[in-house]
Amino acid sequence: MPVEFEGSSVMTMSNSASGEASVSSGHLPAAASLLPPPKKKRNLPGMPDPDAEVIALSPKTLMATNRFVCEICNKGFQRDQNLQLHRRGHNLPWKLRQRTGKEVKKRVYVCPEPSCVHHDPSRALGDLTGIKKHFCRKHGEKKWKCDKCLKKYAVQSDWKAHAKTCGTREYRCDCGTLFSRRDSFITHRAFCDALAEESARTQTNAVAVAAEKESKLEVTAPANLQEKQMAPPPPPSDQKEPENAAGILQYLPQPPLAPVSMCSNSSCTTTSCGSSSLFASTVATQRTSFSDLIGSMGRPEVEPPSLCLSSNGPSSLFPPAPDRRQFPALQPSAHMSATALLQKAAQMGAAASGSSFLRGFGLAASSSPLAAGGGGEAQWPEPASMSAGLGLGLPYDSGCAAAGLPDMMMGSASLFGSKPAATLDFLGLGPSGGANAGGLSAFINSIGGGGLEAYSSGRSSSPVKTWDGGGGDVKANGRAIL
Amino acid sequence: MMQFTENPPPPPLYPTRPRPDFPNSAKSLGSFNNAACMEQLLVHCAHAIEANDATLAQQLLWVLHNIAPPDGDSNQRLTSAFLRALLLRASRSGSSISAPATPHHPQLPLRLSAISLAGFIDLTPWHRFGFSAANSAIADAADGFPVLHLVDLTTTHCMQIPTLIDVLASRPEGPPFLRLTLPSTPASTSPPPTLDISLDELGSRLVNFARSRNVGMDFRVVPSTPADGFHSLLEYLGANCNNAGEALVINCHMMPHRIPDESAGGILSPRTVFAKSLRSLDPSLVVLVDEEADFTSSDVVTRLRAAFNYMWIPFDAVETFLPAGSEQRRKYEAAVCWKIENVIAQEGVQRVERLEPKGRWGQRMRAAGFAGIGFGEEAAMEVKSMLDEHSAGWGMKRDDDDLVLTWKGHDVAFATAWVPSSATS
Repeated sequence: MPVEFEGSSVMTMSNSASGEASVSSGHLPAAASLLPPPKKKRNLPGMPDPDAEVIALSPKTLMATNRFVCEICNKGFQRDQNLQLHRRGHNLPWKLRQRTGKEVKKRVYVCPEPSCVHHDPSRALGDLTGIKKHFCRKHGEKKWKCDKCLKKYAVQSDWKAHAKTCGTREYRCDCGTLFSRRDSFITHRAFCDALAEESARTQTNAVAVAAEKESKLEVTAPANLQEKQMAPPPPPSDQKEPENAAGILQYLPQPPLAPVSMCSNSSCTTTSCGSSSLFASTVATQRTSFSDLIGSMGRPEVEPPSLCLSSNGPSSLFPPAPDRRQFPALQPSAHMSATALLQKAAQMGAAASGSSFLRGFGLAASSSPLAAGGGGEAQWPEPASMSAGLGLGLPYDSGCAAAGLPDMMMGSASLFGSKPAATLDFLGLGPSGGANAGGLSAFINSIGGGGLEAYSSGRSSSPVKTWDGGGGDVKANGRAIL
Repeated sequence: MMQFTENPPPPPLYPTRPRPDFPNSAKSLGSFNNAACMEQLLVHCAHAIEANDATLAQQLLWVLHNIAPPDGDSNQRLTSAFLRALLLRASRSGSSISAPATPHHPQLPLRLSAISLAGFIDLTPWHRFGFSAANSAIADAADGFPVLHLVDLTTTHCMQIPTLIDVLASRPEGPPFLRLTLPSTPASTSPPPTLDISLDELGSRLVNFARSRNVGMDFRVVPSTPADGFHSLLEYLGANCNNAGEALVINCHMMPHRIPDESAGGILSPRTVFAKSLRSLDPSLVVLVDEEADFTSSDVVTRLRAAFNYMWIPFDAVETFLPAGSEQRRKYEAAVCWKIENVIAQEGVQRVERLEPKGRWGQRMRAAGFAGIGFGEEAAMEVKSMLDEHSAGWGMKRDDDDLVLTWKGHDVAFATAWVPSSATS
């Protein structure tokens, strides 16, 4: 684009000092990087074409909007070409510059501010607009103020560009709420349904990791096995996503029956098919706390991760990309392996636990490998396997509920995954810790012990990954906007 | 009507005075309508009610009713709240005083969802001040520990925890495992606002969030109540907290004042027992954040004066962050009114708003074998930058090494940090 200028106000010199240019840019790399890069990168700042004409305009000329004034009517124009066209109307001599290419010598522009690095011809900028913006930004008054955030800009186009994104640049929860402050966002995020739904999805994804991880404990092996069988079907499409997110909550009222019936299916020691009666009859001494527990289980509005009261990092390994959902629907073929797994898990639980009391319960609770492992030493060998236990939805695919629940049953899976474990832990604690504080706290306590182990092993093997909104810059933007 | 709070003067100009001086706010109501006058009228009225002087009380109530509409300026709304509290007190005491036809403030069911409660707390530094200061101190205390066991004695339903998790998540050597223990107080005795979800669900959300930040966490609830100084909780902690790698931190946020003090009767006050029990746990840190006022007097008139000279702050400050007539503001003010009614109209164990000033809490803590460690520069900076996000009326000052939140120069809340003192251990 040929840039016109008024000949009289232009000082021209030849820039033959290409060596100089490289030297000075070496001197001041930081200063050069501070400069907003010109839009067109034909000439890097400070490295002009040695053959170019160097043009120095006075600040006034540079900033004048209509520098080219008609001597007849005083009308001003931004470009000489326009003035020339205008002069034609006055029957004055006019001349349009021809774009021959040869004739037009490459021009570079220096900043009129003497203290500026771009005042030096060797650091001239390649186009007039660039030097104008540079001069405004660095040496001009910031007269454009954003109404929303009070940021000020010297260049109108910068201000306009900012105004377009102001407010969207801040923290946005998946639920659509915007926050200008990080703390506000974080607190909201923690309690927002959007996170619960998202983590339900990522928990499913975490199962995939479980498959890839080498598991030390046998208990987890079946989970991996089974999981591999289920893994191959790729996510069919993204379109199920919204339904699924909403569906989690809707499914929840149904689950509580699933593990129980499953327990009896897999020929455990259970005799009853109501979870409350199962627990109550097993441990009469803990009746009160159990009724609390059962009561909370029976609540209709159980959230997906519900009583999964201990956790660790594996799910955050995964960016919450919805399209990475691995197990949109469990295949009927998984049923067999799940049953096998159940039996295996039951054996594990029985073998691992010394007392017959626990053994009996381990069997009863064998609906998930987690519960079975709970009888042993390391309850939650590593986070991935925990997630496998929680996320696989064992109760789901092995249980009778399968037919009625077409899609991902994260909710019930984690629900059941944790419940039997909790019960098991509780029983383990029963003799010593039953007296104080009630059952709920006691069993949570015991979960905590397992969770810690899981956590530490998980951390060593999993890279820290933050969620989408915050990125890694934890403290970067504490107070984004006033 | 002129509302002095609508044009808040620039920040440095707030004078610090022993008591707030409220300018005239309604010219039409003449000399009656200033804060000092309203306070006097309320005091007279309280005296009359206590003396069972129905005639005088009724006259005063009538005057107060006329000068203090519940939808007036902040000063009038404050007075109106006290008026209703006095009426409630009168009706409790079986007095024959009949109220002028007060357009009664609708008792809003102050049950909020977790995210609306988070939104509420976000509006003002009232709680964020304590959150911010405490989080810094807690993170320091957890430094080098693989496990942070946090006992959160708070009235804010764990609203502090997400930001704490965020702070922990950024620890350079990796976050500690967060073990969070809460008392579950009987729902009937919980002051507003209450949550519309169970503690279990709250916990599962927190755990879920922690997972998303790669912080391991568990959450446990111990049935306990401030009425007995969280006896069962502390007993539970005593039996379960002696892990070597665990930093035990007790975070008391606006909750300790609900523990009965000496004026509630009894030989050894639950408040003293509470402090001593805390000490016996040998915690790494105790953070004590509460409102700076003295509502412990057994004399209702004294309490009325104290409350009137403290509770103007939320009414005054609300003008800067919630528009008049908004639903949120009605809820906010209803919660403030609940406090006033509790201070004025309730007695005995029902009266749970038993604020005690920082100095007295300090005495208790030192007597129990704690030493104040104050807050570092970093915590102060955190608080200051948080305050920058709010109205210019808020400020922070240092008192010893403690932090004090101020509104127009008046103390609002304090944050103190305590560790077991070696001398008494």
